[in-house]
Amino acid sequence: MQEIVIPRLGWSMEVGTFVGWLKKDGDFVKRGEALFELEGEKATQEIEAVDEGILRIPVTGPKQGTVHKVGTIIGFLVGPNESFDQLSGSHLHSAKLESNFSDSLLASPSVRRLARKFGVQLSQIKGTGPRGRILHEDVELSKQGLSSSDSTLDSPSVGESTKKRSLVSTPRARRLAAELGIDWRQLRGSGFAGRVRECDIRAASAQFNQPASDSKKILISRKRRLIAQRLMESQKQTVPVTLTARVDATNLVNFRERFKIINQISPIPSYQDIITKIVSEVLKSNILLAGRWQEDHINLPSHDELHIGIAVDTEDGLLVPVIRDVAGLTIERIAVRSNELVKQARSGKITAAQMQGGVFTITNLGALGIDFFTPVINYPETSILGLGAIRKEVVVIEDDRFAARFQMSLSLTFDHRVLDGAPAARFLKDLVSAIAGFNLSDLK
Amino acid sequence: MVHKELLSLYRTMLVIRYTEEELARCHQKGLIFGACHTYVGQEAISSGVCANLNREDPIFSTHRGHGHALAKGMHPRELIAELFGRSTGCSRGRGGSMHLFSPEIGMMGTSGIVGPCILQACGGGYSSKLMNSGCVSVAFFGDGAVNNGAFHEGLNMASIWKLPVLFICENNQFATEVPFSYSSGIPDIGRRAVNYGIPGFEVDGNDVLAVYQTAREAVALARSGGGPTLIECKTYRTRAHAEGMGDFTYRTREQVEEWKRKCPIALFRDKLSKEYGIHEQILSGLESEVLSMVTESRSFAENSPMPEAATAALHVYSPRKQNISEEGLIERKEPSRLITFTQSTHEALSEEMAVNPGIFVLGEGIGVRGGNFKTTTGLYEIYGPVRLCDTPISERGFVGLAGGAAMTGTRPVVDFMFADFILDSVGEIINQIAKMQYMSSGRLKMPVLLRGCIGIGHSAATHHSGSYYGMYAQVPGLKVVVPSNAFDAKGLMKHALRCDDPVMFLEHREILTHKCHVPQEDYEIEFGHAAIVRSGSDVTVVALARMVHLTQSVCDQLEKEGVSVELIDPRTVSPLDTKTILGSVSKTGRLLIVDEPPAACGFASEIAALVADSGFDDLDAPIRRLTGAFTPTPYSPSLEAVVIPTSAEIANAIRALVKE
Repeated sequence: MQEIVIPRLGWSMEVGTFVGWLKKDGDFVKRGEALFELEGEKATQEIEAVDEGILRIPVTGPKQGTVHKVGTIIGFLVGPNESFDQLSGSHLHSAKLESNFSDSLLASPSVRRLARKFGVQLSQIKGTGPRGRILHEDVELSKQGLSSSDSTLDSPSVGESTKKRSLVSTPRARRLAAELGIDWRQLRGSGFAGRVRECDIRAASAQFNQPASDSKKILISRKRRLIAQRLMESQKQTVPVTLTARVDATNLVNFRERFKIINQISPIPSYQDIITKIVSEVLKSNILLAGRWQEDHINLPSHDELHIGIAVDTEDGLLVPVIRDVAGLTIERIAVRSNELVKQARSGKITAAQMQGGVFTITNLGALGIDFFTPVINYPETSILGLGAIRKEVVVIEDDRFAARFQMSLSLTFDHRVLDGAPAARFLKDLVSAIAGFNLSDLK
Repeated sequence: MVHKELLSLYRTMLVIRYTEEELARCHQKGLIFGACHTYVGQEAISSGVCANLNREDPIFSTHRGHGHALAKGMHPRELIAELFGRSTGCSRGRGGSMHLFSPEIGMMGTSGIVGPCILQACGGGYSSKLMNSGCVSVAFFGDGAVNNGAFHEGLNMASIWKLPVLFICENNQFATEVPFSYSSGIPDIGRRAVNYGIPGFEVDGNDVLAVYQTAREAVALARSGGGPTLIECKTYRTRAHAEGMGDFTYRTREQVEEWKRKCPIALFRDKLSKEYGIHEQILSGLESEVLSMVTESRSFAENSPMPEAATAALHVYSPRKQNISEEGLIERKEPSRLITFTQSTHEALSEEMAVNPGIFVLGEGIGVRGGNFKTTTGLYEIYGPVRLCDTPISERGFVGLAGGAAMTGTRPVVDFMFADFILDSVGEIINQIAKMQYMSSGRLKMPVLLRGCIGIGHSAATHHSGSYYGMYAQVPGLKVVVPSNAFDAKGLMKHALRCDDPVMFLEHREILTHKCHVPQEDYEIEFGHAAIVRSGSDVTVVALARMVHLTQSVCDQLEKEGVSVELIDPRTVSPLDTKTILGSVSKTGRLLIVDEPPAACGFASEIAALVADSGFDDLDAPIRRLTGAFTPTPYSPSLEAVVIPTSAEIANAIRALVKE
């Protein structure tokens, strides 16, 4: 009998949303067949069976749309001669995950449900209710790694010195919190023994600058939350520094105009496509920019691993599909590939795999008239390049003469942990030269 | 007696007998859901008495009342249908065997409680005297009732006020299963009348003509203003106490057989044929006519529909009158005068007595003396002794009488002086007065105003300080008013004296001299409309009577401390203005109920439960109650002071609530 677990679909994925089974309980599943759908960090993915057997889904199996920790056992693949009953299966399931069905434990159904929700093992909790009954508070405390004995309920002074979250709130406070989208558990209550009251919610709301009336609310989607988490992670983990530079893009513009005339079949490469190609070349001699900070070393990609992500604005938010081995692709191929990826990203058909493995990211706000900005590193990468608008400007050329040239702004954010300002500046300087002196024949 | 009258008596007895026998059969077949007490063997009594009555003469009966209803003219259809629980029954399915109502024919109701009918008949007599209607009231009761206080109180009141009442005691020798020979020191009842100074008779209750003749003279005496008569009719019921019950644990088959040989119907039939020469053919023709009517009545009942379940809550109270403003309050108009609580209720009573001749006041010392608390000062001189009726200390008696008076169209005001005394009459209030409108499916109105002083203070000690409104508010059919000031008291009393429901009007003794502005103009405050005494935003305090004043006294100080109190005075405990209370809590998020009586199952608990049920999500703090101690009221000032909430405690409770 083989366990089916929630797999990790991306580096930072902690939980996944179970979308649904693609096989029914009792179906024979062959290795490699799509078994269920899981929504990970940025996309929904079909998960293939890694083993063979008859699919058995325990009665406590995952419900559609529920969120599960990575590693949660959600089903079993049973051999033809193995027996399985859904109830004992559920025992196994809960024994490994929650141990919540041990009948010797006194706990109400709602407490058991709460324990399941929090992924807390009831057997690890000391109940404080009558005859050792496990209460809601016990589960809540356990979730926070506390036992009831050091509960803030009993000793407000403890609550003063620590930043424990509140466990008790008034009904009125809960109602208002729900209306305002505030998590009252994150607040410190001003009432008796830390009870969160209406005034605490209002204070928190004012702090969040959310007027209680007349304001509209939009629900935060799972994707938005994921994006936010990733950005927060980047802010937390990296030491970002942004360098900016101006570059003469006249050659770039001329090349693209020529390409339009010569080649009318394949997609016209965008400035971004061309710069992607140039970046891959420049990275070869500035490989630290494509490095990845690990526990005790920095991982550097080889030249055929220069996978570059391109930021795409979609209805669901920002996605970063990855163009693989940019160094090995022609500009035309890059154009084809980036077109495909953008289309897939915008239609929601992009897979998690297509968004993994990048070593560098390019983001482009030039089309929106932006010049300089401070892009956020697509962690765990080290650097991100922001492209600004291309404008025809008067510049000073040889002999102090004025000329009309196409100018462009570049914004490079890099992780100062990985490298210092000078090497990053050198990369940017090399990039500026490569763009300004762009000549197709330079690229092989 | 002419043959027609004799045959009419015979026919009435037959109707009763055949109907009872049919009911006994139906009971066995499971068509009757509850109890069924038959009148078999006693038919001569109700037939003989009722033959002397007019349709509008009211009769009041007992749990063994089928025979009284039929003798008074109820069709067997209505009786059988009632026992079958049908909507065509005389009580529309609300009563059953022991609650038969047909006020249209003067059948004022049977009762499952022994005794009240005696007092209610006195009330019918009092209405007759007050309205000069010439009606005679009759109480039918068994030997079981004569050792009950109601018998004593009722006969005494009827005697001293010379009420036109017949007390018909059907001595069937067993109070349920306890022999009368055991229960009474003397074997006969009629002679007890002497002790009350009224005529008394002991007649053969199985001799319809003897009963008829005695009742005839008593009715004539009563109609002529000669007062009441007690008639003991010695008889025997030859069926069990109730259908289905064993009968021979307390008497023998031989005894029953012996009495069956004295069957009043057989005896009378014999007399009709032998002494009055009425042909056998006429008698048997009458018998088969009655039998087929009873058979037809049973099928009528069986074919009648059950009452609609949705109507179960109808008739608990009279329909609301439409002429009161929506707020229940006429606008305060100037000029108003500063008058006391007592003056305001006195005005309300006096003004209403002037326009409604059906209002009369019962109570101890409310006549010449003008009331212990000056509730009726000067009214005796205006309205005389019949409308300002001093009573003996017979609380159960005069409350039961008040119920009977209301049932027969007048509007009694019972002035208890101290509300503690009401407890002696509480069975009459809860079992009779409060339930009468419902049991009669809204055909009887019960405009009874019961007033008395409540409240702890001035070392009144425990028998002069009870409140008990929480208890009364548990009774469907009663309305309970607890005003806190003169303005409210007058408007509420006006409403009490105009509505058709029984009202318990409780006046806190410690605020009787409190003055406030009361307009000259007539106004009325409908029940169930709370007053927002003070608007505030932080804490809702609900209080009644004196506790309103105590709470008010701390609000300004609290305001200075930054605590804004909203004070709600519900004014009536039943009906309760839940909307205003919930609305206030939804604003403030905090609720304190301040109540003088102990907390258990009381007013404070009810409001706390209401808000916990319907306003839970509005709460920003636990609900708190501040109530009196769970003790009787002590006498000594040092003890008395600590069993009721004080203003300091109220202020502290509010402060604590804000910090919760």
